[in-house]
Amino acid sequence: MSWRLRLERSVTPSRTTVLLVSLLGVVAALVFAVPVFWAYKVSPWTAYTTIAQRSFGSWAGFMEVLRRAIPLMLCGVGLALAFRARFWNIGAEGQLLAGAVAATGVALFTKIPAPWLLPAMFGAGFLAGALWGAVPAVLRLKLGVNEVISTLMLNYVMIYIVEWLVHGPWKGKTMRGFAYTDFFPAAAQLPLIPGSRVHWPTLVIAVAAALVVALVLSRTRLGYEIRVVGQSTDAARYAGIDFLKVMVAVMVLSGGLAGLAGVGEMAGVHYRLRSPTHISMGYGYTAIIVAWLARGSPLAALFTALLFGLIFAAGDIMKASLQLPAQIVGVFNGLILFFIIGSELLLYWRIKWERGWTGKPGSSGS
Amino acid sequence: MDWQTWLIGIVGRALAYGTPLLWATLGEVYAERAGVVNLGIEGMMAMGALMAFATAQTTGDPWLGLLAALAVGGVLALLHAFLTVTLRANQYVSGLSLTLLGLGLSGLLGRGWEGIALRAPLPNVTIPGLASIPLLGPMLFQDESILTYLGLLLAVVLWIVLWRTRWGIVIRAVGEAPGAADAVGINVALVRYLCVVLGGLLAGVAGGYLSVVYRPAWTEGMSAGMGWVVIALTIFASWDPLQAVGGALLFGALYHLSFRLQQWVAPELLKLMPYAFAIVVLAFVGLGKAQRRRGAPAGLGLPYVRGER
Amino acid sequence: MKALRWTLVALAVFGVVGLAQAKLKVGFIYVGPIGDYGWTHAHNEGRLIAEKTLGIETVYVESVPEGEVETYIDLLVRQGCRVIFTTSFGFMDGTLAAAKRYPNVIFAHCSGFKRAPNMMSYMADFYQVYYLNGLMAGALTKTGKIGYVGAFPIPEVKRHINAFTLGVRAINPRATVHVRWIYEWYSPPAAKEATEALIAEGCDVFAFTEDSPTVITVAAAKGFPSFGHYSPMYDFAPAYVVSGQLVHWDKIYVEFLKGVLEGKYTTKNLAHIDYWWLLSQEAVELGAKRGMVINPRHEAALKAVKVKTPDLGEISVYDLVYARLAQMGAPGVSFDPFQGPVKDRKGVLRVPEGFWLSYDALITMEWAVGGVVGPWPGEP
Repeated sequence: MSWRLRLERSVTPSRTTVLLVSLLGVVAALVFAVPVFWAYKVSPWTAYTTIAQRSFGSWAGFMEVLRRAIPLMLCGVGLALAFRARFWNIGAEGQLLAGAVAATGVALFTKIPAPWLLPAMFGAGFLAGALWGAVPAVLRLKLGVNEVISTLMLNYVMIYIVEWLVHGPWKGKTMRGFAYTDFFPAAAQLPLIPGSRVHWPTLVIAVAAALVVALVLSRTRLGYEIRVVGQSTDAARYAGIDFLKVMVAVMVLSGGLAGLAGVGEMAGVHYRLRSPTHISMGYGYTAIIVAWLARGSPLAALFTALLFGLIFAAGDIMKASLQLPAQIVGVFNGLILFFIIGSELLLYWRIKWERGWTGKPGSSGS
Repeated sequence: MDWQTWLIGIVGRALAYGTPLLWATLGEVYAERAGVVNLGIEGMMAMGALMAFATAQTTGDPWLGLLAALAVGGVLALLHAFLTVTLRANQYVSGLSLTLLGLGLSGLLGRGWEGIALRAPLPNVTIPGLASIPLLGPMLFQDESILTYLGLLLAVVLWIVLWRTRWGIVIRAVGEAPGAADAVGINVALVRYLCVVLGGLLAGVAGGYLSVVYRPAWTEGMSAGMGWVVIALTIFASWDPLQAVGGALLFGALYHLSFRLQQWVAPELLKLMPYAFAIVVLAFVGLGKAQRRRGAPAGLGLPYVRGER
Repeated sequence: MKALRWTLVALAVFGVVGLAQAKLKVGFIYVGPIGDYGWTHAHNEGRLIAEKTLGIETVYVESVPEGEVETYIDLLVRQGCRVIFTTSFGFMDGTLAAAKRYPNVIFAHCSGFKRAPNMMSYMADFYQVYYLNGLMAGALTKTGKIGYVGAFPIPEVKRHINAFTLGVRAINPRATVHVRWIYEWYSPPAAKEATEALIAEGCDVFAFTEDSPTVITVAAAKGFPSFGHYSPMYDFAPAYVVSGQLVHWDKIYVEFLKGVLEGKYTTKNLAHIDYWWLLSQEAVELGAKRGMVINPRHEAALKAVKVKTPDLGEISVYDLVYARLAQMGAPGVSFDPFQGPVKDRKGVLRVPEGFWLSYDALITMEWAVGGVVGPWPGEP
């Protein structure tokens, strides 16, 4: 009798397996990063403990993680939805900026009185992001324009629109000629959790959005149609699903949520429109990974967004507290991603020990 | 200024700025034709630029620099191929991580190489005889880089291979219907590996061009988003090597024009011109051939697993 | 006996530790990478000199996005920094908010205008140096067209272009300065294409505001002279870099930090401290590289061109540059590029005869001087 190893394909991994495997990937990356710390004469132990202390080891640190995670949550939930429909929305950056522009317009140029101003900003931001997201959907379904290129191009278009606004028609009067709009009035500024910089209304909206999207996906007809479209185009066609309606609905939601993230950044962090690269520091692209890690689950996206908030905060700490060169952060993030991706392999293979008799076909043991 | 000088100037700049776009796009066309998306081009170009500069500066030979760039692009692409073909990981995310890694690593390793003028840049050439042809001469044969001509040659060769040889059929089959290709005995994984690595090699050279020819120096982030434009150009060119030439030149011309026309149009609006243009053109193209689907290879972006069809 | 020995050891250890703790810890927050060979690189050089000269401990963080400055200030304060420099206009409001939260930390913000009892502002400006560069450009241009690649149309850059153009026109009243904007502080491809566009328009001398030597190398490839920007750029094209602008942030850093160490600057008295340092404080320097005011290769050309000036008579451009440099470099500054009368390019009188521009007018400048050709977003 002998034992042997058999690799068996497992088609649908369980939730816990997914979680464990992703964690394994992160841990492997952290181990792999040790030589990087050594190369800069920083003890890995010090590095990791400092990061842990300054991030989730303290209230202030955890608040920072949360603050970074908010736009990732909103964009991530939206992208999870889009990816479920297999619509590759690379345009969350632009949709976020569209929301920021709308929020700024409402805050500075309308006379909406105090209690209604912030809700109006969020509403306008959602609409702007929804529009910016719906255009690629229509372009794909009516004219066959690949959405990867249309959403990517629209990112750049929105970036330059913002540049044009802050240098031209919306340039502030109080900014001594620098490229910023005027400061938002107090009624347009979101309240913060005292002692931190977390604009909690946006956080509440993000969690609510995740719940709503999860409900839509699992309980409504639209959600059913979205899932079918995402799984098989043919099946969807046989079921008579209206592709245009579904795609537009998906992108309205996806873009709208990214737009809400933009409003949050405006009303909760910057309080004015500024150079686009300082508003969205790759949130739209990072959210792609957030959504992917969440395997398309809006609720899980909340947690993967927190993970990335932690990764961003860790990067800040590496730069400031450990005095590592700024580029380390990119290398670190890249490594973490690599290992998580690599660990995906484990999701689709199960290792089984088998008891086998020579001469007899192996029986599946456990 | 007469229209001839205008035209010569614009075509000249289009060729110069379009060359790295062309090289990288040709590579990505092949990778995507085989069914693998590579979003890591930006990272490969950044590493290529650094390796080319560092090698050329150390050895004094720009060609060695370009060779080094070629190699590093290939290595990074090998990694991408391993992750996506063998480990069947999500292609988009793998590419994104490569970009992150490539940008970070090149910035990190590049510390200390900034602020130095390359002592051995690759000089441009002027083809005698041909350069004297009126109008076409100065436009196409004067003061251009060897890499520009090599790139155009490469485009023709790659087009012939893709559409007129057996290899091309194999590559396209792997991209369109990997299951069928596998059934006929084609080694899908090998074909994908080769195409992805080719893509990396060419992206590396594109990056090397930036630091050894276009602007002979190294600074962090000098690839300045070109990798993303390449992704778009691949689609814009309908995954065809010769159309990639047109796309790269068009983009180069528009980019240059956005500076020339500043006198008459707001600069920021000019800067968005190339990107908006791309969408508009694609929309028109879509209008024209609503029925005929000349789109992406059907298997693009999906890992191929035998038995899973 | 043993107790005494151990007490002495303990005292020594505590003494050393105490001394070590007494060393002032200063933090620097940069908006870009120190390898940019431009703005951030120069600040970092200043930091290194200050560290060595004063024996203080410094830490720095690079590539900090504007909205994140408060996060990094928190981390630096946590590390024990008692003075923090934030080196970009966009950090202003974040620094002010942090200054309110940390009343026992000294803050210094570069290129801004808001202050607090524990927050001062500082800037080293080039406009005088640009004027001197302009004098040389005006003498060297053969086509009468000079190219300027600008980053963003903000008052700082506009002020520099205007000063440059005034210098050009002082030598060649019909010359024009053609401007192209690239909308980035750092972008070699954009700088290259903009320069090529200007060359195509007929420009033959170049100056710029962009954090890389791209304009220089592109111009040199076609045989055109240029002026370096911010860091010594002579080595990029030794035959073509005529002169340039150089900055010495260490002059401000050393002076201010010395004041902090001596107790002259505290967390209570900074609200009116606003460094606006120019040539006479040696915060900026005219030159292609340190110590090379004018590239020797171009000396003959500059000596050959003569102009008539109201106060110095007929003089060669070479001598004029040195004369004006001396006038602006001496403590009792007796010349200013913007001394009246100065009209903008629409004909509006901006500086009346006999007047100089005030500090406020200088830092909010939006108009363009006569001779500037090209787009000028925000022109009044």
